[in-house]
Amino acid sequence: MYNYNYLDNYNNLRSNINNTSYVPSYDNYNMDRSADDRVTVGGMELFAPKEAYEKGNLFKDLYTPYKNYKPYKLTPKDERQKLFLELSEYDFAAHELNLYLDLHPEDKKALNLFNDYRRRANELLEKYESQYGPLTVSSDALVKSPFLWEEQTFPFDKGGVSNV
Amino acid sequence: MFRYQKRLQFPVDIKTKNVRLAKLLIDQYGGSQSELAAALRYFNQRYTMPDNKGKALLTDIATEELSHLEIIAAMVYQLMKDATIDEIKAAGLDAHYAEHKKALYPTDSNGVPFTITYISTTGDPLADLSEDMAAEQKARAVYENIIDLTDDPDVLRPLLWLRQREIVHYNRFKELFNYYQKKFNKKQDQVDNNMNNMTNMNDMLGMNTPMDNYIVDVNEAILRN
Repeated sequence: MYNYNYLDNYNNLRSNINNTSYVPSYDNYNMDRSADDRVTVGGMELFAPKEAYEKGNLFKDLYTPYKNYKPYKLTPKDERQKLFLELSEYDFAAHELNLYLDLHPEDKKALNLFNDYRRRANELLEKYESQYGPLTVSSDALVKSPFLWEEQTFPFDKGGVSNV
Repeated sequence: MFRYQKRLQFPVDIKTKNVRLAKLLIDQYGGSQSELAAALRYFNQRYTMPDNKGKALLTDIATEELSHLEIIAAMVYQLMKDATIDEIKAAGLDAHYAEHKKALYPTDSNGVPFTITYISTTGDPLADLSEDMAAEQKARAVYENIIDLTDDPDVLRPLLWLRQREIVHYNRFKELFNYYQKKFNKKQDQVDNNMNNMTNMNDMLGMNTPMDNYIVDVNEAILRN
């Protein structure tokens, strides 16, 4: 279904989760899966971060399409956009679990998944900022002159990083 | 505290200007069901949530609403940026232009400026969360109305995404509402079972509730008689 390289990252991440025995194991997310292969939190099946981000919903049971509309594919045009999109996806998946954990702080499986996504998002943010400049004003990328925080295009303007 | 990140929560890249659509979309920027109303509603209600579950959820959703407000702003800005005076007149945005040129300004789709009376706080978690659930449903409905009125994929993509966020938020609020309702109803049952023991009632209900004061008044009335 999806053939982006960073699905490998997702699968690696899944393997890590599997090592801690919270989540049932499968190697290829793209393959058809039997019912007990599902990633669930609180009895709810989850989408993988990429699919969740495109849909705007990590929780498969809560996902409700409007009429016949399908979520649009996000197609990065270069390496920079690809990295930015991957960052957005993991950040979003972590945020969804954040909201869930606010109400279920004792759910260890959700907490572990949250931490995996959060760590991955932090790594991607650092990687993005070191290669393409700061997204946060605490970035190490800001040691360069001139002051890149001001220099780089704003996300609402043409050519901003959010124009995927 | 809050810190800005120089990115949008979901990408916006509108290639075709459309002033008419900007006029409709501004509703989610400064209308009664807007992202602005949502953010302010939850930020104001969070302080009096009875426990950290409520304080955490309202803080985190209010913060996300600010990111949504920014997405809508980016869309309105891009839809209007290259518009000609004739296009602005034709779309009925000449009144907006007279006062604001092409600057962002929170109004509803009829140009009525945002007002804080769109939101309320009651200090009652069940009442506040009922409003929040309704607000998410109404925002979803408005997104669907606007989706019906456009066929530009650059506009539909973020709108479908934002609509889905309303569904997730609604469900989280509902979950919290059900949790509190169960918690408080249980307390009320205990109170009902102890109707003959007036001295225990203050303990049952906790301190500093209006009901406390009422019970103190009743106790005093009994003593006076």
